[in-house]
Amino acid sequence: MRIYSCHFCSSPVYPSHGVMFVRNDAKEFRFCRSKCHKNFKMRRNPRKLKWTKAFRKAAGKELAVDSTLTFAQRRNIPVRYNRELVATTLKAMSRIEEIRQKRERAFYKNRMKGNKETDFLRDLELVNNNPELLKMREVELRKQAEKEARKLEMENEIDMESETEDMEVESEEEEQVEEPVKIALKNKKRTKKIAF
Amino acid sequence: MLYLKSMLKVIDNTGGQLAECIKVLKKHPKSNASVGDRIVCVIQKAKPLSADTSASGNKVKKGDIVHAVVVRTKQVRNTRDGFNIRFGDNACVLINKSTGEPLGSRIANNDGVVSKQLREKGHSKICSLASKVI
Repeated sequence: MRIYSCHFCSSPVYPSHGVMFVRNDAKEFRFCRSKCHKNFKMRRNPRKLKWTKAFRKAAGKELAVDSTLTFAQRRNIPVRYNRELVATTLKAMSRIEEIRQKRERAFYKNRMKGNKETDFLRDLELVNNNPELLKMREVELRKQAEKEARKLEMENEIDMESETEDMEVESEEEEQVEEPVKIALKNKKRTKKIAF
Repeated sequence: MLYLKSMLKVIDNTGGQLAECIKVLKKHPKSNASVGDRIVCVIQKAKPLSADTSASGNKVKKGDIVHAVVVRTKQVRNTRDGFNIRFGDNACVLINKSTGEPLGSRIANNDGVVSKQLREKGHSKICSLASKVI
């Protein structure tokens, strides 16, 4: 039993999983699941689909050139069985995997380096270019404060056992006031998306 | 999944090119043929007979009724060792009606891929002729 890698997405194909397609020139294509098989039938290029390993390697998102990756390659030279060789290989496998993971982690960290600064600068630019966004926040805060003040007043009124009719009128007014704020919030979100 | 009216490619050197299945042999009346099954078929298309090559000759011509063995199917088939194999087309090899030996002496080199299940079904002669057994 051998675990092959998917022709399309490079994930492992375990026995009795997926489909193997044999072209008439005897080339074998193994697929891990029907998703990959269907995409292959649709003649899609795996390098152009973001979820495949081929894309990630081509776009520089993953470790592509490394000495740890060369160990897994297929060699067409037969090797005579040697007990010691097998023992050392087995020992080396775990160690190589460890090193590979470390290097991948380092690669990822290096790739993500400086993202925080760029994000911050982008946000800063957005705020500088659209000062009204900040004012909107101020308006929002002021309205909130007003609302809270009114609530307090109402509570005081209840304490004083005043008439309920006035309260209802007031609550209606509150709702009317809230509406423009909501719209403003929506607008804010929209502008943000465009800016990015 | 081959049954009445299915068209198969003939991949040996008998001269036939396209065969139409008219009967699946030794199976339940409603079942279909798969890799390794014997079928009866009609040759619908054959290589043209030219005057020069008449000596080498085609063993079959258009309209002949012959027996054949299915060697490849488009339908996905599970193998015992845990693979689901699908081929690019449906293909067959013509055989002698009485002896079961292949009519042709060789199988096309460029598309001579044959399923491994033929051997299990006792068509090892075809397997040995084929350029690749998968």
